[in-house]
Amino acid sequence: MDLTRAKIRDLRKMLDSGEISAAELCKEYLDKIEEKDNSLLSYITVTKDEAMKTAENAQKIINEGKASALTGIPLAIKDNICTDGIKTTCASKMLGDFIPPYNATVIEKLNEQGYVLLGKTSMDEFAMGGSTQTSAFAKTKNPYDLERVPGGSSGGSAAAVAASLTPAALGSDTGGSIRQPASFCGVTGIKPTYGRVSRYGLVAFASSLDQIGPIANDARDCAILLNAICGGDRHDATSAKIDTPDFTEKLGQPIKGMKIALPKEFYDGVDDTVRACVTDAAKELEKQGATLVECSMPGLKYAIPAYYLIACAEAASNLSRFDGIKYGYRGEGRTYNELIIDSRNKGFGEEVKRRILLGNYALSSGYYDAYYKKALALKQEIIKEYNDIFEQADVILTPTAPTPAYKIGAQDNDPVKMYLADICTVTVNIAGLPGISTTCGYTADAGLPIGMSLIGKRFDEQTILQVADAFEQGFVPVAPKF
Amino acid sequence: MAVDMKTIEHLCGLSKLTYDEKGMEKVMGEMSSIIDLMDEIKGFDLTYDDTKDGNEIRFCDTREDVPEKSFETEKLLSNAENTDGCYVVPKVVE
Repeated sequence: MDLTRAKIRDLRKMLDSGEISAAELCKEYLDKIEEKDNSLLSYITVTKDEAMKTAENAQKIINEGKASALTGIPLAIKDNICTDGIKTTCASKMLGDFIPPYNATVIEKLNEQGYVLLGKTSMDEFAMGGSTQTSAFAKTKNPYDLERVPGGSSGGSAAAVAASLTPAALGSDTGGSIRQPASFCGVTGIKPTYGRVSRYGLVAFASSLDQIGPIANDARDCAILLNAICGGDRHDATSAKIDTPDFTEKLGQPIKGMKIALPKEFYDGVDDTVRACVTDAAKELEKQGATLVECSMPGLKYAIPAYYLIACAEAASNLSRFDGIKYGYRGEGRTYNELIIDSRNKGFGEEVKRRILLGNYALSSGYYDAYYKKALALKQEIIKEYNDIFEQADVILTPTAPTPAYKIGAQDNDPVKMYLADICTVTVNIAGLPGISTTCGYTADAGLPIGMSLIGKRFDEQTILQVADAFEQGFVPVAPKF
Repeated sequence: MAVDMKTIEHLCGLSKLTYDEKGMEKVMGEMSSIIDLMDEIKGFDLTYDDTKDGNEIRFCDTREDVPEKSFETEKLLSNAENTDGCYVVPKVVE
């Protein structure tokens, strides 16, 4: 069976018509993972036995004619989302043996629909990175070129979708961790509005920025997945108590008359190829009847320090629980302090340690006002600038990343270079807005995917899905030869 | 260098981390570059106004403070070492 870039909705039809059973579909994916993932390294854990068992159960629901959108659909889940009884490592030695005693709310919601968990996908350690090369267990590669990174931190999820080792996956996005790997791997990924999806059971990196979201082959599949996982949750007080629309509702509707803003600063520092590709995509949307609006976001200049100061301050606080006693890998020591320090020295990787140090620097006495509070001031300014742009536009179009996927090792010794590469995505998290990345072209020489991002008003995922879908309908994606 | 060895030692203390001598030199270089980047924010001339935060979204109400059925103790202890019906912490003497 050819599963290349299979869509959830097509698989749904096949399952409902009896063309294939849920168990057969599950086995097709498991066989493909076994055959291909040794070189891709997109999964940390493959849940073979559980997957087959849940597929059998899903088939019973299908046979009764009671299937939901995701009944019997295989999915992969990023390894920082808690799954009851299944290892959830955050790609860190610190949580190398952690088996959660509960499900994240998003997993409960997927279970209600009878989805099939294929396995847990690799990521940058504690979601800190943009390459999936800080993973302690599986340094995922890009299926378009195995010598390149898949992006990150949800690189395992994006690579698995791109290589057709799952039809779709969940990732998490704190500063671009769904959108940037989706861009590097030529798939579609949406970061919902902060509060749209419960964070209960998502291992915290930066609590005011984290959000779970779908990665799939196109905007339509993202909408189906988002329908399944969204909604307020009594276990997460920061989940929003508002009505959730049907995210597939506006798909296929024309975008004529829609205003699309292009903030010039986002286009200044990116590769020529990326700029040309996203500009061409804007022209394509214009051809479909949208109006392009030129605008400016001066605050972008300070976005990287603002983001890293806020994110790392929260990370330093969130990760202080990993002491080898209450949580995480247990080291050795004769005293309380020795034990904690040894546990953290051995449990955390270098990038996580750097971010903890930076977070504690920003929060420490004498620096708090100069760094952390200044970053919060900038957060308010960025929200204001986005609000100003949305006074004159419905959505914003930007590149997703300054470059296509780069070679493995290219940024290993330069954390500053790695941080600067997040420039196109971090403001969306700072402002709590929804953003979707979809492929808008490929590099001429290496055929690497280039992504564009559509940013929407708060809780208006429907419109960015509509515009992404409108573009995708006229675009022919190229699957990797992997 | 944006940060000196004394500052790095202080941050390591706050972070409950240690490095050997070579590691300290390396991390001091890396943190200096990172803090140089963070220093760019000092060029931004605005003050944080905490009265403007979080007014746009209505988040979920907090739960009522009433006891309810939660996890089984045995399941919660499944990740712990040396359990005997209790969570046993390692013996450390200060």
